[in-house]
This record gives sequence, structure tokens and C-alpha cells, in this order.
Amino acid sequence: MASYRARRRKSAIAGGLMVAATALGLGWLVLILGVLIWNGLAGLSLRVFTEATPPPGTTGGLLNAITGSLMITVVAVVIGTPLGILAGTWMAEYGRYARLTTIVRFVNDVLLSAPSIVIGVFVYEILVAPIGHFSGYAGACALALIVVPVVVRTTEDMLRLVPDELRESAASVGMPCAILITRLLYRAARAGLLTGVLLAIARISGETAPLLFTALNNQFFSLDMMQPVASLPVVIFQFALSPYKDWQDLAWAGALIITLAVLTLSIIARVLAATRKSA
Amino acid sequence: MIDVALDISQRAHAVSEPRGLPVKISVEKLRFYYGDRLALRDVSVPLHAGQVTAFIGPSGCGKSTLLRVLNRIYDLYPNQRAEGRVMLDGENILDSGRDVILLRAQIGMVFQKPTPFPLSIYENVAFGVRLHHRVSRSELDDRVEQALRRAALWNEVKDKLSASGQSLSGGQQQRLCIARTIAVQPEIILLDEPCSALDPISTAKIEELICELKDDYTIVLVTHNMQQAARVSDFTAFMYLGELIEFGPTGKMFTAPGDRRTQDYITGRFG
Amino acid sequence: MRAWDTAFRLLTLGAALAVLILLASVIVVLVIGAAPALQAFGFGFLVDDSWNPVSERFGALAPIYGTLIVSSIALLIAVPIGLGIATFLSELCPIWLRNPIGIAIELLAGIPSIIYGIWGLFVFAPFLQVTVQPALIDLFAPLPWLSDLFAGPPYGIGVLTAGLILAIMVLPFIASVSRDVFLATPAVLKEAAYGVGATTWEVVRHVILPYARTGVIGAILLGLGRALGETMAVTFVIGNAHRVSVSLFAPGTTISATIANEFTEAVGSLYTSALVALGLILFVITFIVLAAARYLLLRLDRRGGA
Repeated sequence: MASYRARRRKSAIAGGLMVAATALGLGWLVLILGVLIWNGLAGLSLRVFTEATPPPGTTGGLLNAITGSLMITVVAVVIGTPLGILAGTWMAEYGRYARLTTIVRFVNDVLLSAPSIVIGVFVYEILVAPIGHFSGYAGACALALIVVPVVVRTTEDMLRLVPDELRESAASVGMPCAILITRLLYRAARAGLLTGVLLAIARISGETAPLLFTALNNQFFSLDMMQPVASLPVVIFQFALSPYKDWQDLAWAGALIITLAVLTLSIIARVLAATRKSA
Repeated sequence: MIDVALDISQRAHAVSEPRGLPVKISVEKLRFYYGDRLALRDVSVPLHAGQVTAFIGPSGCGKSTLLRVLNRIYDLYPNQRAEGRVMLDGENILDSGRDVILLRAQIGMVFQKPTPFPLSIYENVAFGVRLHHRVSRSELDDRVEQALRRAALWNEVKDKLSASGQSLSGGQQQRLCIARTIAVQPEIILLDEPCSALDPISTAKIEELICELKDDYTIVLVTHNMQQAARVSDFTAFMYLGELIEFGPTGKMFTAPGDRRTQDYITGRFG
Repeated sequence: MRAWDTAFRLLTLGAALAVLILLASVIVVLVIGAAPALQAFGFGFLVDDSWNPVSERFGALAPIYGTLIVSSIALLIAVPIGLGIATFLSELCPIWLRNPIGIAIELLAGIPSIIYGIWGLFVFAPFLQVTVQPALIDLFAPLPWLSDLFAGPPYGIGVLTAGLILAIMVLPFIASVSRDVFLATPAVLKEAAYGVGATTWEVVRHVILPYARTGVIGAILLGLGRALGETMAVTFVIGNAHRVSVSLFAPGTTISATIANEFTEAVGSLYTSALVALGLILFVITFIVLAAARYLLLRLDRRGGA
């Protein structure tokens, strides 16, 4: 029988370790964000937003990368969101008690955490190799494949949160399922659904691997999605690994921009979720 | 209790005897299962047109279950099923070929917890109308106003029809749900403990409403409040453990019930 | 009206099936792409550590080894710290601090991996090169086996660095999933233990951890799944050398780093096919790990609330 003092001491030590773990684990956040802001701000200037990526040794900006990322993201969301919402809708409503839903949910969760580089290889094989060249659309498709599982998951969760009473009241006036879903349920769950889309966008904003061999890269400013398109993550990848100081500065600036975008989206998503809870 | 009984017996003589009253819905040997569990055993009861039939009984006796068979709302859940016959206008509504959506337009339901749609007050009422009838905008306005008037809600909301249905008080929301149900012009209205979530004043308003609506609709009321059943209904059915124990005109049920169990419940021996 | 209803139902069903078809397609396409390499090298592919684009001889051993080592290092560090944070949040943390820390964890988890990559390359690796690595070399030099583990010149980049960065990345993930699992421990169990005078540590060790065991394992497996597939954070600091070394300071490579670096430059269909084969192997490994994780968490869901 351990003595009382010894047990107390053990618990205190353990507690201390837990606090240390927390400080250690979260201290990195401060460190990383601190360095990011420091170096990123140093590399930021108006030029970053107005000029395209420069050849090594000259100054330039990230305009083509920024517009490229925006275009790819928009297309990815346009492709992935409807598919995700519709699939999540079936799982939550029509297929709520079906065996198939369990299977789809399982597969969806696997796709959710699948290595994004493998997704990139997949899209390369079906959309780049057969066509013969890289394209912004291929990149967007790769990102769409990351958007879909996120949206499916949140859609199913959010729709299931809507109480059954609403469904029963609608049924009792003779409302068909499709109208119940599109006119009432989507409306009731809209904050949650939007949160899902925002989270998906935050997730793909920082994704590099799937774009490496689908959208590739483009030195020049271009709006043509049928050709290779520059994107912030890929440009950062290229510039950071290079030996050129100008390029490295731009890489940090780009990193700061991406991180700010991701954090802002996450915060908006959180606020949305909070207002939904209090509503 | 004696006072109530005297009051009711006077009213009982005012109600005409059931002979000759048409039957709107005839429940015949209804059995209902939640999964493997038998919840209703061979229940048979006539629901007369233009009358209020109340179902009373202790918790779990199956009265709500029975109500939910009448508009087949249990269809939403896969492990619930019904066997037997429920005849409406000569046809069995339990038939799998039956169009459930049209059935529910004919048989409306008001639930225990007021659940207005997340839409404006106007839209709450108009939604159901648009589903089943092609009406012009002005006709729709009329139908909405009529429904709200009959539900005794018009005066309170006529200036704020575009406000959210969920911004009303509990009693108002329930009347909105009643208006929503009436707007679809059903023949039968089912009420599942409509006042249990409401304060006494709202309850009284809704009981008044039920008495007024009786003229045009067949009403089936489930309530755990015996006095309410006594006040409002023409016929009462007492259920216990999934069986229909006794059925008859309300006056007789409360003054001279035939079955011992009915008497025990009514006098508060259990429940 | 009825037609619309049926059409919508079929539309949504189609979307749900599309998810399944997607998974199937990924597997099929990867297998087709990997076939040439697998046919050429057979099962020897898995244990061959050569990687020669010129002579077209490829082997997956170095990337697989690198992937496993880096993930192991990451988990070895991230699991204890993550669990420590999770228990802190669920037992010791004052209520007002819970939310801020929770948010901090989520922020950490949301930072894109490429940020970790460049931070690792420009800040962490040089730091390790100057401080930690020499220290480790000195510390373990006199010990027979362990000195080999920490041998070689301190480059800064290498397998160890990649593992450490990965640990920081996976840490918030394990912490938040474990925290959710711990918070779901029924209060009655904890109160019963505290009620007989158990210390906090004893409650954690003997009540919470056993109850949450399945969930914690699920969380760890999820973290592992993430670590295995991580590309950008690792590519920057692993050194990209196709070899298997004992020393943790040596450069190496992982499957995802190899693909990321070489895919666009792969000349010749056998080269590309070998890379696709690597992708297939990675996908299969992650699939198994994630499936196991989901299965465990599913069991916990079913049992939970009991």
C-alpha cells in the first residue's frame, strides 16, 4: 500500500508533466507563427500583389500564384460542394437506416484522411497523362477530391442534427421528401452546411502535393485553366528550396498569405458554428 | 370530482346518441409493432364524422401510437409496422399501394411540441396549400387569412405575417401549427397532446378552438388530461397496455363506465 | 411533383455511390499505373534498396523504410505529449483556460503542412544542427549501439529532423481526438474514483485511460495515418537520399517525398510506373491503418454512453 505522501507526490509529478506537455506542445505554435509573421512581413510589399513571379535574381511578386490559387480553389469548390452535399443528404435522409450508408461513411472517412499526394497521382493518371498536358482544371479536380469527403461528413452530421419533429410536421401536411429537404432542411441547417464548405476551403488552401503534377506551375500571369496554372503552395515549394534570396523572401510572404487565409476561414467557420448553437 | 361528473352528465344529455352518426374512420383489428415488440393489440374503434373522439389512458398505453397510424407517419421509421385495417371512405389506408402524401393532405396532424417551419408566418401556412393546390397569389392570401382566422390567430399576427414563425409564443406557435394544418383543407384532424407544452391560458384557447372546429372536421384527440377529454370530446376511448378497454359517449364514460379498469383510471386509482 | 421526388432521390443516391466509385477508381487506376513496374520487379520491389533511373532499376525499400522510421519517431514523441495535453485539458485545466487552449490546438492543426516545411528548413533544421544534434552525438558516443543511431555529421536535415517536424504536426491531432474521448468518460466513473480518495494521476491511469483505451488507440492510428501520408513537411527536411541508413542524422526519403520530388521529372514509363507503385503501396498502408482506426472508433461509439 503506497504511502499517502508518495501517491500525492506521484500525482503532482504527473500533473507537472501534463502541464509541461501542454506548454511544449503549444509553444511551437507561438514559435512557428512568430517566425512566419516576422519573415513573411519582411517579404511582403505591394509588389507581391501586383507583379508576377520573377526569374531568379530579379524582384517580382506573387500575382499569378495568388490568382491561380483563387481560380483553382473556386473551381474545386464548385465541383466538390454539390457532390458532397448531395451525397451527405442521401446518407442523412433517404438512406438514414440503410446498410449502404454505413459503408459510404466508412469509405468517406478513409478518403478524408488519404494521402493527398496519392490523390494527385490518381488525377494525373486520368486527367493529365491521357490529355498530354497539365492544366488548372486537373489541379482543381484533385482539390475537389479533397473537398468532397469533408463536405459529405459535415453535411451528414449537420442534417442529422435537425430534430425529427420538423420532418414529421412536414410529412403531416403531405410534403414530399425532396421538398422537405430542399426547402426546409437545407434552410434549417444552412449555417452548419456553410461551415463545412469553409472548412473544406481552409483545408485545400494549403494543399501542395495534389497540385504538383496536375496544375504544375506557370511563371507568367495566366487565366487559362486549360494550361498549367501557378498556385501559391507550389510556388512556395519551388522558391523555398531554391538558393536565391529574392525567391526565398517571396516564399515566406506567400506562406504568410496562405496562413492568414486559412486562419481567417477557420475563425469565420467557428463564429458561424457558435451563432448556430446560440440560435 | 363529483362536480365535474354532474356537469358532464348534463352535457351528456345535450349530445345526441350515437345511433345514426356516420363513421369517418373505422379502425379494425389494428396491430402495431416497434421492431418485435407488439404495441397495439387488435384495436378496433369507430371514429365518427364531425365529432371529437378523445383517447385517454396512462403513459405507454398506445394512444399516441394509434394516432400516428392514422396518417401513417410511422412510415418514416423502418422498424415500425402496422397490420390490420383502417378504413377511410371504404378503403384501407394501410395498403402499401396507397398514396401517403395525399392521405396526409386529407388527415392533418398537430403535434405535442409546436414545430413551426423555419419560415415566415405567412409561409408556414401557405406552404402546405401550394403543395396540393394550384392557387393564384390572391387566392393564397385568402386561404392563409381564413386558416389563421379559424385558428384564432389572425388578429395577433395580421401585421407581422413576414415575421418568423419561430418568433411567436408557445401558444401562438401551436395555433400557427393548427392553422397550417387547416389550410390544407383536411377532412380529419389528429391532435397529439396539443396542450401539454402550453400554459393554462393557451390551453383554454385551444380547447375552445377544438370545439369550434368540430363542426367542419372529424377530430381525434390524444390527451393525458382527463378533464380536458371530458370538457371537449363527444366520444372517449380508454386504452391500457396497448388494448382498447372501453369506448363510448364521453358523458357515459365519465359517469358510468362499464369496465372496472376504466373506472379505476378515471377516479385516479392509477395512471 | 412525384417525379421530382424520385429524381432527387436518385440524384442523391448517385452522389453517395459516387463516393464508393471514387475509392474504387483510385485503387484501380493506381494498380494499372503500377503494373509495369510490379511486373518488371516482382515482389523484390519491396526489399530492393536501389534506385537508378539510368539503368531503370528501382526498389521501394528506402522510401518504405524512411516512411516507417519517420512516422515512428513522430508518434513516439507525439503520443505521450498529445495524451499529456489531452489529460491536462480534461482533468487539470481550469475552465476558463480550456477554450483558448482548445483553439490553439486547432490553429496548430490547421496550419498548412508546407508552412511546417519551410519553417523546418529555415529555422528548425539549422537549430538542430547547431544545438541538439551535436549534443546527441556527444551523449551517445560512448554507448555501443545507440552511438550508431546518432552517428554521422550533423547536417541538420535528415530522418530525425523530419520525424520531429512530423511530431509537431501530428501532435494537435492526437491531442484533440484524445481530449474528446477523455471528456466522454462518464462523470460518474470519475466521481466514484475521486470519491474514494484517488489522486488525479490515479484516476487518469486507472479509470480514464482504461475506459478510453479503444478511443485512444483509434486516435493514435488516425495520427499514424496522417503521418504516413504527409508530404510537404517531410520533403523539405528529409534530404531526399535513396538509402537506408542506421543513423537518424542521415538523409533519407519517404514514399511521399520521393513522389513529390521526382514525379514530374520521371523520364520513361518504367520510372513513372515505379513511382505510381510507390503511391499504391502508400495508399494500401494508409488504408489499412485508417480502416483499423475507424473500426476502433466505431466500437467506442457503440459502447459509449453505456
